[in-house]
Amino acid sequence: MNSLERIKAAVNFETPDRVPVIAQVFGHAAILDNVALDKYVRDGELIARSQIKALEYYGYDAVFALMDTSVETEATGSVLTYLQNRYPFVKSYVFSRGANLESLSVPNPHKAGRMPELLKAAKILRREVGGEVLVVGCVLGPMTLAMQLLGPETALYLAIDDPESFARLLDFSTEVTTTFGLAQVEAGVHLPIVFDPSASPAVVPDQFFREFELPQLKRVFASFKEAGAVANWLHIAGPTDLILPFYPQAGVDIANFDYCVDPLDAQKALPQTCLDGNIKPLSFVQATPEEIAAESSTLLGMFADRRGFILSPGCEIPPEANPENVKALVLASRKRR
Amino acid sequence: MSNSAIHLLEKSLLDGDQAQAIAEARKLLDANVGRERIITEGIEAAMTQLDSKCTAEQFNLLEIMLVGRAVMEVMKYLYPPGTPLPHTKGTIVLGTLEGDVHDLGKNIVKMILTGKGYRVVDCGKDCPVEKLIDAAKQESAKAVGVSGLLTTLIPQVRRVKECAVKHGLKHIKILAGGAALKQASAESLRVDFVAETAFDGARYLDLISKEIK
Repeated sequence: MNSLERIKAAVNFETPDRVPVIAQVFGHAAILDNVALDKYVRDGELIARSQIKALEYYGYDAVFALMDTSVETEATGSVLTYLQNRYPFVKSYVFSRGANLESLSVPNPHKAGRMPELLKAAKILRREVGGEVLVVGCVLGPMTLAMQLLGPETALYLAIDDPESFARLLDFSTEVTTTFGLAQVEAGVHLPIVFDPSASPAVVPDQFFREFELPQLKRVFASFKEAGAVANWLHIAGPTDLILPFYPQAGVDIANFDYCVDPLDAQKALPQTCLDGNIKPLSFVQATPEEIAAESSTLLGMFADRRGFILSPGCEIPPEANPENVKALVLASRKRR
Repeated sequence: MSNSAIHLLEKSLLDGDQAQAIAEARKLLDANVGRERIITEGIEAAMTQLDSKCTAEQFNLLEIMLVGRAVMEVMKYLYPPGTPLPHTKGTIVLGTLEGDVHDLGKNIVKMILTGKGYRVVDCGKDCPVEKLIDAAKQESAKAVGVSGLLTTLIPQVRRVKECAVKHGLKHIKILAGGAALKQASAESLRVDFVAETAFDGARYLDLISKEIK
C-alpha cells in the first residue's frame, strides 16, 4: 500500500498494511531544512521543497501546503508583522482599519496576499509526491477566521451583543474559507484541512458551536466533497468532547482530537469516523524518543481492533521539535505492522 | 439595604449583563452601601460562583469574558479613573512574553483577578522578561503571571524566575498559563505554578496570599 491508499483505508475503516502516520509538520519542515520560518511562509516553492525533504527524512504519510493562520485575514486586508524565524501575526485587523462588511470582498485566491504562493506549493507537491502521498492544504474554519478578521475579543463580544452582525460576519468567513479551499482542491490538494481552534469548547460553549458554527461547517465540507476532496478533515484543538458528536452532521470524515481528550471517549463519541491524534505537541520538544514510542504504542493498542485511526500529534508539531521524536512516532507504526 | 439587593448585583454579573450590573451597583450606592462591601459581597461572590461553575471540563472563555466585562464596568463605575483603589489582596503583574501577541487569555486573567480583589498591572503583549520584572519591582508585586500560546516562548519563561532573583525579588511567585505553557510542568518551566485555567491561577494566588499573611 502507498500512503494515499493507507489513509483511504483508515478513513473507510478497512485494514491498512499499517496504521498511517500524519505528523503535523508545518514550520518544523523549514527548521529541518535550515530555512527561515518567515521566508518559508511566503514562498510556495520553498514550502514544497522543505515538505518533500521532511517527507523523505521521516517517511510519514502526508505533506502540507500550509503556511500559518494569518493567510486569509492578510488576503482580506489585515496587516501582518513578519519577524525573523517566527510565524507572522496580525498587526492590525481589517475591521480595525475602517473596513465594514459591505465594503469587503472575498479575496481571489489566485491574486490576494500569499494565497497564490500556497496554491503554488499545492501544485508542486501534487506533481512531485501526490501520486502516492496525501497532499493536504489548509483553510481556517469560519469561527477562527471571524476572530482573525475582527480580533478575538471584539469578535466574541459581537457574537453576544449583536448576533445578527456576527452571523453575517460568519457567512462572509465561510465564503472566504470555501473559495480558498476550492482553489486548493483545484490546485491539487487531496483535501484542505479545516483548522478551527477558536470553535473549541475552551473558547465558546458547545451550544454556540451547534448554533453558529455547525451550519457553516456543513456548507464548507459539502462544497469540498463536491469538488473532489478525498475526505473532509476537521481540526479543532482543546477539550472537544462535547462537540465531537456533531462532527458527522458537519460531514467530517477525519476528526483530529487533542491530547486532553481521552482516546476511548473520542471513539465512543465518533464510532464511525476516522480519528487522528493525540500525542501532546510539547512532548515532541521535551520528551525522549523512547517516551514518544511508548505513547504511540499505547495509542496503537487502543485502536488496534477499531481501525479508523491515523497516528498523529494532538496539534501542530512545534517548529523547534526534536527530529528524533518525530522519527519515533513514524517508527512506532512501522514496528507494529 | 438587604442582602437580596447585593444578590441582584451578583446575579446580573453572572448573567454577564453589564448595564443591569451597573444599575444594581448604583442602587446599592444610593442606599449607602459601602464600595468595599459591594466588592466583597457582590463582585467577589460572583467570581466565587463562576469559579465553581468553571471546572476544567466546562471552562469556556466567552462566558468568563462576559462576566469579566461586567465586573470591570462595575469597578470603573465604583472607582472612576484617578480614584484610589480600595485595599486589595495585593498586586499582580501580568504579561504575554516577547514574540507572542495572543493576549486573550492574559486579558481574561486580568478580569478575574480584578474581580477577586487583586490590583493588576498589565504589561501587555510581546513583553520582554526584564520589563515584567522591572514592573514587579516598581509595583511591589507579590506575583508575576506570564501567558503563552506558543511553545517557542518556553526558553523565555525559564528566565523569569532567574531574572526576578537577580533583581532581588526571590520572594515573588511566578505563574505560567496558556495553551502552550500548560502542557509543561512547573519544574521544566522553572516557575512556581502552572495554571490549568485562569481560576486555577487565582486559587493559587489566594493560597499564597494567606500563607504570606
